[in-house]
Amino acid sequence: MNLLPSAATLAALVKIGLLVGGLMTAAAYLVLLERWIAAWVQDRRGPNRVGIPLTKVRLFGLGQPLADGLKIILKEDFTPSHVDRVLYNAAPLVILAASLAIFAAIPFGDVLPPLGIPGLPDPVPFLVAPGLDVGVLWVFALSSIAVYGVLLGGWASNNKYGFLGGLRSSAQLVAYEIPLGLGLLGVVLAAGSLRLDTIMNAQAESGVWYAFAQPLGFIVFMVASFAEAARLPFDLPEAEQELVGGYHTEYSGIKLLLFLVAEFLHMITAAFLIVILFLGGWHLWGVTGASREIGWIQALLRFGILSGKILGVIVFFMLVRWSWPRFRFDQLMNLAWKVMLPLGLVNLVTVAAVEEFRPQLVAALGPGLATAVAIALPWIACLAGWVVAGVFTPSGTDNTPILTHDPLDIERELAEHERLERAPHDVSPSELAGSR
Amino acid sequence: MDPVSTTAAPSGLLLAGSVASLAAALWLLLPKASDTVASRRLGFLLGAVALSGFAATGRSLGCVGEDAVFLTVAGIAVISGLATIVTRSPVYSAIWFAMTLAGVSGVLLVLGAQFLGVATIVVYAGAILVMFLFVLMLAQPSGMAPYDRVSNEPMLAAAAGAVLLGLLTLSIGRLSAAEPPACCRMPSRAQAVAAASVVAPSTDAASKDDASKDDESATLIAPAQPGGDTGDANEVAHLGAELFGRHLFAVEVAGVLLLVALVGAIAVVSRGEATETDHRREGR
Repeated sequence: MNLLPSAATLAALVKIGLLVGGLMTAAAYLVLLERWIAAWVQDRRGPNRVGIPLTKVRLFGLGQPLADGLKIILKEDFTPSHVDRVLYNAAPLVILAASLAIFAAIPFGDVLPPLGIPGLPDPVPFLVAPGLDVGVLWVFALSSIAVYGVLLGGWASNNKYGFLGGLRSSAQLVAYEIPLGLGLLGVVLAAGSLRLDTIMNAQAESGVWYAFAQPLGFIVFMVASFAEAARLPFDLPEAEQELVGGYHTEYSGIKLLLFLVAEFLHMITAAFLIVILFLGGWHLWGVTGASREIGWIQALLRFGILSGKILGVIVFFMLVRWSWPRFRFDQLMNLAWKVMLPLGLVNLVTVAAVEEFRPQLVAALGPGLATAVAIALPWIACLAGWVVAGVFTPSGTDNTPILTHDPLDIERELAEHERLERAPHDVSPSELAGSR
Repeated sequence: MDPVSTTAAPSGLLLAGSVASLAAALWLLLPKASDTVASRRLGFLLGAVALSGFAATGRSLGCVGEDAVFLTVAGIAVISGLATIVTRSPVYSAIWFAMTLAGVSGVLLVLGAQFLGVATIVVYAGAILVMFLFVLMLAQPSGMAPYDRVSNEPMLAAAAGAVLLGLLTLSIGRLSAAEPPACCRMPSRAQAVAAASVVAPSTDAASKDDASKDDESATLIAPAQPGGDTGDANEVAHLGAELFGRHLFAVEVAGVLLLVALVGAIAVVSRGEATETDHRREGR
């Protein structure tokens, strides 16, 4: 039996190492970036002191992530006595493992030029699991596994704040998975594949990014991925003012670090998906063509463009976080079910119609005009849908008390109060509602 | 040489023994009022004996895969399945069930059914079970509900489950004895790739008239051959063509059924809501 790993296995291991190392470093430095942006938005200086250790070199605060990381790792890993120990320890592992495993199916570049290593398929793709035919579904499956980490962390903490955070989070994630899926379906329909690399290639070949061809899908997907990443304005699971720290209230030290890193990874995943599905991936007009035969410069250029776009989306995420207030929970649910779900359906129907009649359009109008019409129709649908949703959909539940009588009728109120005091257990809920 | 004829008597005895010990183990392990630590320990011991008995039966029938990955994920599925039914805490039970689903999805991935494997996780573990957990955690159930006491029949359940498993093992063993190469070993990657390359040309048929017929034959062949992890590149396309081609009616009926359930649920919920809006109209 041959115990030596094959070249393909080694290549996969190298890619996994690069990806995990890169992601962890990126997460650390994105925290610094977020603090800088926060400082900039709030007109402060932000972290600018920590530079090279044991010297007075400040380097604009670039040593801050190292100091933060060391500090949180060296903190006491305290386990409260009232927790469910097994699940309390498992929750951070589940969430981090799921968040990292998502990246097995996400391409982080295009392809390397042929290397000529025997046993290795050429060209080498920037993708850990190149044979996976259901890449998009894999991402969905693992992000739904990550919900378990949040839910179990909240429940096992045996703390009301943690528990409420966990419940809110799972309700939010389950609700926003549907608009997320609808936004995605439009792209899958247009590209005809569940593979993320094929979807990028389709955009590069036509030169029309799906954000332009399906504006409504782009908006729905963007909003839903903000909610899935639990970033402001959708960060109710850990609304500090109400829930202390939400589902990770009872966690400290390295377990807290795992939760925080997983949260950042969710945001990075969302940025990757937005760029790959809607913003053309590595494609940029005039810089990277659609050619499959590429050299080293082109390969690195594509990697750089993809990374740059992702950084841009992440900066957008951060700017939104520091400039928007948080939704109320009923507003959040209304937005998911009454606005985003119908808009997602409108987008899906429009895209399906355009794709179905594209051959007839090309035959009738010629390829150039047909493309223009195929882009214009979704924009019209987007504007119409947006106006209709804005005019007719309530942005929140009306919570004002329902009054069926004059509230200043004191005698009636007193009689009602007495009746309830006398027999509190004999009143059925419907009676209570009727008496109000 | 027929594998069954040489090993029929020992494997029959082995199977009967495994079924009996599995029934006893399940009965001891299932939650009951009269549980003691000793009975649970005995149950675990008997369960281990039964599982190894089943594994040995499968091997003597020539039907246990050699693949380490397959054995791992299958083991996870079986052991988590047992843990699901013997755990006392409903939340832990749900978590073990999620592990079972992960194991089953792993088996499907090993067999090359990528779409089914991932869809199992998305639909069951990701959506349905999260809802389950949600309800369990909100309800904080202490002890058994009345309907649990009515329907809790550890002895019957254990016996029925063990007998069913024994019969399935026996019949699958018969099938594999009739056609040894089809089931006994998972095909190697080279075989899978060769099979895929045989199928591939038919899907690339240029003429549109032939395409539908060729598609059909391809979809008929494709699911039957378990490719490796990279066996069939068009697995999802085949599955989609099959579902929305031959089984279109069934898919539509299932969709309508779900819609009816949805409308029913909304009708049930909105009965209380309607009166509230009426009140609001009166009040304003």
